Amino acid sequence: MPKAYIELLVNNEPQEFLTQPGATLLSALRDDLGLTAAKRGCAQGTCGTCTCLVDGEAVMSCLVPVETIQGADVRTLEGVAREGGELDEIQAAFLEGFATQCGFCTSGMIMAAEALLGENPDPTREDVVRAISGNVCRCTGYESIINAILDAAERRRSAGGITYVERGV
Amino acid sequence: MAPSVEVPESVPDVVGSLAGEGRVVLAGGTVVMPHVNTIAHDHRALVSLRRAGLRGIEVDGGRAVIGAATTLTDVGKDERLAVLRPVIESIASPTIRNLATVGGNLFVKQPYGDLAVALLALDTEVQVAGPDGATATRPVAGVLHDGVGAREVVTAVAFDVPDASAWRYTKAMRRKQNSASIVTVAAVLRLDDGTVTDARITLGGAGARPVRATAAEQALTGGPLDHDRAQAAGEAALADAEPFDDMYASAWYRGRVLPVHVRRALLEEE
Repeated sequence: MPKAYIELLVNNEPQEFLTQPGATLLSALRDDLGLTAAKRGCAQGTCGTCTCLVDGEAVMSCLVPVETIQGADVRTLEGVAREGGELDEIQAAFLEGFATQCGFCTSGMIMAAEALLGENPDPTREDVVRAISGNVCRCTGYESIINAILDAAERRRSAGGITYVERGV
Repeated sequence: MAPSVEVPESVPDVVGSLAGEGRVVLAGGTVVMPHVNTIAHDHRALVSLRRAGLRGIEVDGGRAVIGAATTLTDVGKDERLAVLRPVIESIASPTIRNLATVGGNLFVKQPYGDLAVALLALDTEVQVAGPDGATATRPVAGVLHDGVGAREVVTAVAFDVPDASAWRYTKAMRRKQNSASIVTVAAVLRLDDGTVTDARITLGGAGARPVRATAAEQALTGGPLDHDRAQAAGEAALADAEPFDDMYASAWYRGRVLPVHVRRALLEEE
């Protein structure tokens, strides 16, 4: 079967590539574009480790055949940090709030949080719980993640989107 | 082997793409893709609805027409359908709801498919496109029971948006977010001077497909909407239920709690 030709905007960069027919967005990101932040977990849409933004909405990239989203605007964890590698508020809050342990869920958690804060800059705790309800974490017990997302929302609101990140011990 | 993917740009092209062996309609992908990703299957081609022009919501004179490829998130955000928001919020996670579609929900096996339970209570009409350009309108009960033909595709659902005062919905889950149904209850009630004159009650978690609880409807109709009659309707609901075992609950448990949740739904108890 001939390969499929795909055009996407990935983290604001146009990408054109060939992939296996039937490939998921997750496979295309990891295996064709070398973007490995999105993790391959359950392959059933149950764990959320592959969460990415497609046209601004958080989706499980393992459930999306990439041929069905030709031309889409895709955002992954690799596109979250600012130029020069400065962490954005959510990444910084995760780092400083010890909201990551083994790290396997972190990429999906941050992308779900990006979608939430993009739509709702001042979420309640319940809003955060709802937003990450499709993302499984087997290490942290979720509290530190929920707190980090609320912290990130506050940082983003108070700083108007720009925050100095202290990287101490 | 991974199936090929087709992305037709009109309904006739979708129907055309369904001709042949092993062709499957792909709407949101939340049910089909786990199957493709993890289980031996004989799907040769996935026919995506994403570009077929089937996404959108119209509400005119209290009648809603929702395109089959409209996402659950779209429905949940629509102010005109605010009465259905608790249904949408009870289904999976926001991330899944960004993909999952209204049409796809009709084909989901219980204990999933809570929107289908609600659509059955709403006496929904389902628009189905088939070969030779024909479009048929069918009652949702038939589509839920029999599915559609191999070369047919659901294009839209249509129903009268209920008044909030007439609408009842409850879903018992293992946890507050993102869990399949233990039992789901939806109902549309008509009251006249305190007497229930008409009731349409449907159940999830009570069979492989959503079921209508006609015995419960009869038990409730013709009297006041009070605790005793709601309780009696709940007990009567067991007559139409075939609770099942799965990883969420046992058939025994589902049968035990069904009357309670029917009563709670009807009386809007917490």
